[in-house]
Amino acid sequence: MASFNARITMPAEAKAGEIVEIRVLVRHPMDRGGQVDSEGRVVPRKILNRLTVTYAGEPVFRYDMHTGVSANPFVSFTTRAVETGDLLFEWREDGGATFTRTARLVVT
Amino acid sequence: MSLAGRALAIALLALAGAAAAQEVKPGSAFLSPQMQRQQEDEARNPGWLWVEQGEELFSRREGAAPSCVSCHADPRQSLRGAAARYPQVDAASGKLMNLEGRIEQCRADRQKQPAFGYESQDLLGLTAYVASLSKGEPLAVSADGATKPFYEAGKAFYERRQGQLNLACTQCHDGLVGQKLRGDTISYGIGTGYPAYRLEWNGLGSLHRRLRACSLGVRATQFDYGSDEYLALELYLAVRAKGLALEAPGLRR
Amino acid sequence: MSSPISPTCARPEPALSRREIMVVGAAGLALAGLPASTQAATPPALAELIARVTEGAVPERARITFDIPQLVENGNSVDVAIQVESPMTEADHVRWIHVIAEKNPFPDVARFHLGPRSGRADIRATLRLATSQKVVAIASLSSGSYVMADADIVVTLSACIDGG
Repeated sequence: MASFNARITMPAEAKAGEIVEIRVLVRHPMDRGGQVDSEGRVVPRKILNRLTVTYAGEPVFRYDMHTGVSANPFVSFTTRAVETGDLLFEWREDGGATFTRTARLVVT
Repeated sequence: MSLAGRALAIALLALAGAAAAQEVKPGSAFLSPQMQRQQEDEARNPGWLWVEQGEELFSRREGAAPSCVSCHADPRQSLRGAAARYPQVDAASGKLMNLEGRIEQCRADRQKQPAFGYESQDLLGLTAYVASLSKGEPLAVSADGATKPFYEAGKAFYERRQGQLNLACTQCHDGLVGQKLRGDTISYGIGTGYPAYRLEWNGLGSLHRRLRACSLGVRATQFDYGSDEYLALELYLAVRAKGLALEAPGLRR
Repeated sequence: MSSPISPTCARPEPALSRREIMVVGAAGLALAGLPASTQAATPPALAELIARVTEGAVPERARITFDIPQLVENGNSVDVAIQVESPMTEADHVRWIHVIAEKNPFPDVARFHLGPRSGRADIRATLRLATSQKVVAIASLSSGSYVMADADIVVTLSACIDGG
């Protein structure tokens, strides 16, 4: 598979109580299964089926994805800035593989 | 030819003439406002995922071979505008070379590594990265001197009727610009957004991949990636787009 | 539409050949007697799909904005934006938002789990839509009730086939 890249766009800093928008773009073919590739082979289903986001250890967002989510999916959501800490993004792929990224939010 | 047919042919020719006199616009001008905004938004345009991959490859070392950045230090400065000058004639070989070809040449000759292969994800990534360093730069490809015969060949290709539908590129991409072809809007034949992320592909692809789809569309011969035919055509398209801003990685339907 | 080119676009499944149509025609009566599993499954009614998600409750059509282009440029990636009016407090918040595309092969498309930490119920995402259809967004509220909004969308075909 092509390399796993994730682009997470959010402010580096926020005031306590402020609502910040987090935008996530990730590279994945989201193979829905049953398609035929250039060599005539049937491609099995392999999608990212879940993105979980925790902020300073607390779950703040979860995205359950099925075959109706686009390739290289984009998602944006919001969270309230409460304390300086890491946002941990964890994707789970069909078959059990996981990918993680972190981004720090400094709260002033 | 019937009278009506002749009248239509004359009208088409007149349209083609009128369009040629107009200012040629980039492919993005024919996108919805939403897609135009998304193309410019690095957090949203998936093409930047490939740019990111290319940036990583640019400084990666394989064995004893130098990395790209070993020679091209400070690429944001040193390679700014470079992509806007391709295709160009390679002085040593006299061959016409596009950006993909130049990257492969560097890899084989200077890094002594096996070529990535046209349309491989690694080559797309590197091409997208190097092209992105010239984003916003005006295209500055020459049609004179050593490039002249290639330019003439590309122009002839663009104007020659071909395929089972017996259509030349110019008939639609000059004569019918702005009109609808099934679900899409016909644009000028301009490749300033490539490599581009096409929704139809669910991924990034080269201009030659797009040209192959065009050839298939008029049921004409599909030439190989990196073929002389498409290289000459790419040069002609780049000269047509002279002065337009490079916008790779583009976002297209 | 009069266009100079009408390339046939690639279809997810090939059209029936004339021979196949004739065979089906001749076998029509016999087909009626086959077990249901060998015939094309009829997707369950949309109401049923919604009821499955809401455990039978009927969602109110209120307080939810569902933004999706009416004319989709390419079904491979469709931008949706969903907002629910909610204070997003412990006592009163959106628990999740669920999207159903009734004519997708798998109609449950996505679910976004939110909570008081979200601050707002405000989501954007890119979905994949197989064909023109009705798309529904349902939000589950902390009160135990549900709200929904729907949209009829048209998916246009892209101009050129791509085999290259």
